[in-house]
This record gives sequence, C-alpha cells and structure tokens, in this order.
Amino acid sequence: MTAVTSADVVVTGPAIGSSARKEGGDTLLTGRGRFVDDYTLPGMRYAAVVRSEVPHARILRVDVREAEQSPGVALVLTGESAAAHAGPIPHFIDPAARGGRYTDVRCLAVGKVVYAGQPVAAVVADTRRQAEAAAELVRVEYEPLPHVLDGDDALAADAPLLYEEWPDNVVLHNHYGTGDVDAALESADLVISDTIRIARSTTAPIEPRGYLASWDRLDETLTVYGSLQNPHQLRWMVANSLGLDETAIHVITARVGGSFGLKMQGHPEETLVCLLSKLTGAPVKWIEDRREAFMAGAREQVHRFTVGAMRDGRIVGIRDQIVANTGAVSAQAGWAMPNMSATTLASGYTVPNVQAELHVVVTNKPPLNAARGFGKDSAHFVMERVVDLVARGLGLDPAEVRRTNFIPAGQFPYRTATGLNIDSGDFPGLLDKALAALDYDALRKRQADLRTEGRHLGVGLAFELTPESADGPGSFVSGFDVTTVRMTMTGKVTVYTGVTTPGGGNDTGIAQIVSDELGVPMSWITVVQGDTERCPGGFGNFSGRGMVTGGGSAALAARDVRAKIATVGARMLAVPVDEVEVAHGYVRAVGDGRTVPIPEVAAAVVTRAFAIANEVEPVLEATRAYKPGNIDHVPDERGRIQPYPTYSSCLHAAVVEVDAETGQTKLLDFVMVHDCGTIINPALVEGQAYGAIVMGIGAGLTERLVHDAQGRLASDRFKSYLLPRAGDLPTIRLEHQVTPSPFTMYGNKGAGEAGVGGAQAAVANAIEDALAPFGVTVREVPLPPPAVLALIDEARTK
Amino acid sequence: MNRVRLKVNGQEHEIEVESCTLLVHAIREDVGLTGTHVGCLTGDCGACTVLVDGASVKSCSVFAVSADGAEITTIEGLAGDEGLHPVQQAFWDEFAFQCGYCLPGMLLTTCELLDRDQDPDDAAIDQAINGNLCRCTGYASIRSAVRRAATRMAAGDPDALPESQRSESPSAEPPPSA
Ligand code: FES
Ligand code: FES
Repeated sequence: MTAVTSADVVVTGPAIGSSARKEGGDTLLTGRGRFVDDYTLPGMRYAAVVRSEVPHARILRVDVREAEQSPGVALVLTGESAAAHAGPIPHFIDPAARGGRYTDVRCLAVGKVVYAGQPVAAVVADTRRQAEAAAELVRVEYEPLPHVLDGDDALAADAPLLYEEWPDNVVLHNHYGTGDVDAALESADLVISDTIRIARSTTAPIEPRGYLASWDRLDETLTVYGSLQNPHQLRWMVANSLGLDETAIHVITARVGGSFGLKMQGHPEETLVCLLSKLTGAPVKWIEDRREAFMAGAREQVHRFTVGAMRDGRIVGIRDQIVANTGAVSAQAGWAMPNMSATTLASGYTVPNVQAELHVVVTNKPPLNAARGFGKDSAHFVMERVVDLVARGLGLDPAEVRRTNFIPAGQFPYRTATGLNIDSGDFPGLLDKALAALDYDALRKRQADLRTEGRHLGVGLAFELTPESADGPGSFVSGFDVTTVRMTMTGKVTVYTGVTTPGGGNDTGIAQIVSDELGVPMSWITVVQGDTERCPGGFGNFSGRGMVTGGGSAALAARDVRAKIATVGARMLAVPVDEVEVAHGYVRAVGDGRTVPIPEVAAAVVTRAFAIANEVEPVLEATRAYKPGNIDHVPDERGRIQPYPTYSSCLHAAVVEVDAETGQTKLLDFVMVHDCGTIINPALVEGQAYGAIVMGIGAGLTERLVHDAQGRLASDRFKSYLLPRAGDLPTIRLEHQVTPSPFTMYGNKGAGEAGVGGAQAAVANAIEDALAPFGVTVREVPLPPPAVLALIDEARTK
Repeated sequence: MNRVRLKVNGQEHEIEVESCTLLVHAIREDVGLTGTHVGCLTGDCGACTVLVDGASVKSCSVFAVSADGAEITTIEGLAGDEGLHPVQQAFWDEFAFQCGYCLPGMLLTTCELLDRDQDPDDAAIDQAINGNLCRCTGYASIRSAVRRAATRMAAGDPDALPESQRSESPSAEPPPSA
C-alpha cells in the first residue's frame, strides 16, 4: 500500500539554533524582490502631496485652478474636499485611552496647519513628474499664527495652542514609580542634579515609505500595496476613515526596505492614497521622497533629574522630570514612545525609590513616528549617564558602580519601581564578559599612558534593558499573534502568519521553528506574510515580537498538523503513535527504524480519509494564536501594570579617541554582550544587533534633525543628516549570553530593538571619559565635533 | 523626447526619454528592470548604483541621455545560468543584507572593487563601500562578504570571476525575440 522503507534518512540537526541562511535571499540578490515602487498596475497614476510651508497658520484659501490646468492632471484634492469623503484616521494608540488627549487627525489639513510639512492638498497626474509639477502650482493662502518648536516653551502658560479644543499643549501627563525619593535623597551621601537633552533624530530606512491603492469601481473593493509593518491595522484604519467595509479592502505588504518603526501605520498618506484612487477610479501610487522621509522624528526629550547615592555606589533614589517633544499629533504610535522612557527608568538597577513625571507635549514640528527603541532608548541614555555621574562623583569605577546596582542574577522575576516584571537575566554576567572582551584593566592602563602623551582615549559602558513584545489594551499594540500552518498532499508546507518582516528575517526564523516542530526540511516550507486575504488576522511587527508571537503561534499550529501526520504515519507503519518520530520529512518507527515519507502520509490523509486515515479530521491545517506569559494589566497595590512578557538585555562598551583640537571622535572598538534568551538563528540576531548598534552610534555622534526658526526642516538629505558609513566604524564585536525566558515558547526574548539606546549612551560616556582631564560633562546627544569642542570650552571657562 | 540606446546586461534597448530623465528612472521604468533602487535621488545613498561601461555610477546622478550607447550592468545582470555570481553568493553566505534595499549598490560596487583589486585590505573595502548607505546591517557583514568574495575568486573558482573577466557571460545572450 505504501512505500515503507528503512532507507537511510538524511538526518540534519535541528533548525532552531542554526544560522539557517536567509529565506528568499536569492530573490533579493538577483534584483527580483518586489518593493512597493516596483509594482505597476494598468492605468496607474501618481500622487504628489502639497505640504505646508509654515509651522502654524489658518488656511484661508487653497487655489487649485492653475494646478488643475497642468498637463496630465486628473485630480487636485484639498483638505475641505477630502473631509467630505474621509473621516479622521483612527489612532494606532489613542492617547485618550491612555489618559491623554484626543484630537482628529486627517489625511489633509482642514482649516489650519500645525507643522511645516503637513499635507494640505494632493495632486493625481499621469506621471510622477506631472504630479510634482502640478503640486508646485497649488497656491495656499495662510494667516500665520504664533508657533512653538521647543518642548519647554510649549508648556509655558502663554504658549500658542496647537489644538484649540485643548487647554494646553500636553498630550499626556503622567507619574511613574514608587518609593520615597525625598527621604532617599535626604539620606544619600551624594546628590547630583542635572539636565540631559536628547536631540531629534530619525530612523531613515534606505527605502522611504510608499503606497499603491487601486479602487475597483465595479466590485467596489480596494486593493492596497504598501511598504508596511501592520497590514491588518491599515485595513481597519482605512475602512474606518473611508467608511468602507473592512472585507472590501485587501492589503498586500510589498517587500519592505527597512522600517525601524517608521512604517507602522497611521500616516496621513495611507488614507490619502486610498481616497485618491477611489475618487479618480484609477490605481494611484505615492512614493515618499527623501526630504519627506526626514520629517519623521524618532526621539526628542529633556530630562531634569536628581539622583542620590551612598558612598559605596548604591543608588538610592532618582527623580526625573521629563519633557518629551512629540511634534504635532499623528495617528501613528510615535507620541506614545516617551511613556516607555519613563517606565523603563532605573532599567536593570535595583533603585528602590524612583519618581518620574512625564509631559508629552505637542509643538509645531512634524510628528514623532515610532522608532526602534520606542522610547526605551532615551531611558537608557539618561540612566547610563546617571550611573557614570555617580561613579565620577564618588571616585568609583563605572563598571563597579554598575555591578553594585544591578539586579542580582538570582532575583528574577524582579518587579522594578515603575512596575516592570523583568522575567530573567544575568546582568553582572554581561558586564564580566564585556570587561573581559575589552581587557578592561589593560585598557585603563593604556588610557593613563596615552594621557601622559596628551591623547584622549575614553571607555564608555552602557547597560540596556529591552522590554519586548508589548501588549497595550485597547490599542493595536498586541502581545499575541496568529499563524496558520497548511500542508498540501505533497507534503509542502505554507505558513501564513500575522507577523510581518521589515526585512530582518523573521520569516527565516519562523520557517526554522516549523521545520523542527512539524518535522519537515526547511526547503519544503514557504512563509507568507503581510497579506490580509491570505494571512490570519495579526498585528505585524513592532516591539521585537516577531519570533515571540509569530514563532510561538507557528509552533502551536505546526504541532497540531504534526499530530495528524504522526497518527496516520504510525498506522501506515503499523505501530502505536507513541512509537513514532516525525522528523526531516519522514515518520519513523522508533523500534525498527522503518520510515514512511511525510508526503505519502499527507496524501493518505486526503485520499484515504475513510480508510487508513479514518477518524482523523482530514484537514492538514491549523490556525493557532500564541499568548506569552507574564503580561498583567491588573494594577498592583501601587497601581503598576506589566505590559511585557520578556526583557532582553545587553551591555555595550565603546572605546573612543577624541581629538581635543578638532573635536573629532574616532570609534576604536565596540563590544556588545547580548542576551535575548534562546536564540532561534544566531546570524539573524547578530545582524539585527549590528544594525541597531550602528543606529545608536549615529544618534550618539552625528544624527540630528535640524529645523529652522520657521519649523522648516534644514537637514533634509543625507549630506546634512549624517548616517554612519562603513569607514566610520570599527569591527563591532558581539558576544552572546543566554538566559532563557520562562514566559515564552522557547525561552526566546526578542531581538532587533536592543542596541540603539545602549550604543548611544556608551559612545557619549566614552567621550566624557576621554575628556575627563578637562572635566567635561556630557549633557546631550548627538556629539558631533562642534558639540565636543563646546564641551571642552565650557569646562575650560569654569 | 530623445531616443537613447542602452545595452543593459547584454541586451540592446532603445528607449524614448525626456532630456531630464534620470538614468535610474530610465532603467526602472523604460527598460523595466526594478532591481536598481531609489533611496535619495541626491547621490548620497548608492542604492541606485549600476556599472556604466564597467565603472560604478550612481544612476540618479546622471541623465539617461548622457548614457546613450553605454553598456550597463544592473543587479539583474550578475547571476548567470549556472547560478549566483560569487559576490552574490558571498553576500548570502555572510548574511550581508537584511532588507536588501541597498544590495544593488553594495553588489555592483564590490564587483567593481574586485575587478581592479583582487586582494583589497579593509581600508580599500571601506573606501569602496563608503558611498553606499545600509541602515540594516551596520556594515560588518558586508565587509566580511567582500573579503569572502575576494578569497573565493582568488582561489581560482572558475565561476568566481567578476563578470567582466568571464570569457562569455551567459546573461549576455540576447533572449529570443518575441
Ligand atoms: S538614489 Fe542615487 S544615490 Fe541615492
Ligand atoms: S540591508 Fe537594508 S539597507 Fe542594507
């Protein structure tokens, strides 16, 4: 009946834990990867967006006559006319649901503009150039209003109001932490107060955003292609603002050329492009240009802190007043990032008394957009500066002050003063490995020797705790996800998952998991992501959730399918089901080693459903959701909630040499010891970590978005916004430590976010250390040469 | 409109372009090869890199008309019938890309480098790829890939020669006309 053989089964090791090569790599390497701008549809037209040139003004008149006469133009849409067809864009995270303030966000401004760059009108034309040319001809008449660009200024009683229905410019005001900070400071041997500023930087993926929408007049359905992170959420958002049924919208995620949070949904152009297609009856494509991409801010905060420590280096209390400048309100999730800056404070240190007060304020700058780190990065910068300042104030070694304050390895799960329940870790272990990798004592000696020659070597350490796989009740930030595993009757497997990839490679990781759980080779597996008609509902990518939730749900679904294969395979081998193994494409009788190939078993399930597969439901398919543990939204006795299942951690060490004459910083060495729990694919984890570290180095040294006094972006190209290039970087060294999480499927914790905050802090700490002979104090990032020279000057004049 | 003749990956194309059409747009939209990417249009990111008569060029920084008569190699022209080009292979083996958006620039720049320097040191590698931005990898794996490609090609792997040095490039065969 079947070809039961005992032929040698080619056995390879488990896929999980191997550096399996990237899925679909050949497609990208040969230029066949389809990014959003690579899609064309018959009759496709192009959109260009007319943007406000002023930071704050009433719109008196939008004159579209000349633009309408321009060659190739099909439609010129103003805010007023858009509002007749489209409602507000739903928020990815509604501030009101977090105790903050709501305001309508529309695809085109109605009545007034609140930042330079805000979309006020749109043009659809036959070609991209025609659309851009016509956009230049739209005349907007403004009545200027006073504007405010600085976060502190926006809090002043007489500050211009962005949203007139609000009493002030505060989106969210909140208090965090527990303990008696006053008493702690009172008892401390050392008390330091200072101010730290984190300038606005941005994510800058090399592929900007883009969308292609196609309205079908006959079917009344909408198909949207995009460079996206959250396709199902986009479908819901567009359905809401355009008043369509969700089932009439099909969202297809193109290959994404990097994202880092930028391509989370809620951007005005998403709704806009869909509306333009609906109004013109033609497919409409809009691709962001680099200038536009630079409008998206990633972070901008001021921290005014006071810290108290005992003589032995123990930090006993921290107070931090945070003002986060979120720019204008967007429906994207960026405004919520500073919440995590406050919540992550005190990081992996046992500081019993922490009080943070956060004002997230709006200004007439473009909105912040979600960014890798999601606010946690700023907490790390502040905390790691604080630890170094304490060490300096007490004359202790910064490595030892970290060790003194770390949560001890045996004390997990550990509830922090702000309520985070850290699942696991070994922070002193990370430090030991980093110091060994640096040869720390020898390095300190070399530093002392170089100082005698007038050279300025600096060593900067930074610890980073990365809460991952967040869940936010009532928002699109969800801690679970869904995967379908489907096997055909030839044994081929397709995995449809709700998590998406921004390019990092979680599809490969998910295939590895399904390979092991289902017992088929990687080459039999295809992973489908980002398609709302094919994939089960899910939440896409953010918060390092891809492998925790996508991997977990894929494992559960694969196990369900495997169980049927095992049952029928065992019958074909005429042994009890508990005496077979399913692996590497075969069902194998453990006793005598006879095997039956999985494709034959799969065929039997379907074609012999009433014979050998009797009483087995003949569907080789399962859809499962995975909810990790540890998430707890019931406030504890101190009102703290716990929105993360798991916490990755890492320790960074930067070695720099600073030229005190030119202010130039040369990065000589960089070590990161990383703990993301169980590693599904080391090469993919490392790739993500390198990318995040370099992004943090950029934010620490050179990356700064600059606006002129009128709120217009001055740093609008890669010549004025400086990303690190290959020649700026040493060989970054990465080491792993594995402390599995007890709350996720494999003990994996999430990778991809860790790196930004720690690297930013490590280079800043290293620069201060290098310039210790001058007595400088680093109070801001980034630190390009002029900022370094200013630090030296400031210290000299003291 | 201007008539422009381009030999792209061995195949002749005659296209009509405006005088201000950038080479990158001509390649993507008129020739129809979308493997060459646009990241900035200001000559800073390198995602649009192609080889024009063997030299790496940022195709957003030249007009299509100025490339009239040129031989152009794009990312689509690297692999042959026998499989990936050794530089592509090395990039895959070393995980030297994530999203792959920077790949056209990284691959073609590497091909050009190895064409003139079979044993580049780290400084030469950095210098070559310094004009190409990658936001995903942090460049470490890209450097390793360039080194691996150089080693494999130096070891005399017959397939491992840069395209310009192969006796006959399979991709240079014109396809049967439709
Ligand atoms: S698109 Fe040509 S250099 Fe960026
Ligand atoms: S791999 Fe994404 S930009 Fe290089």
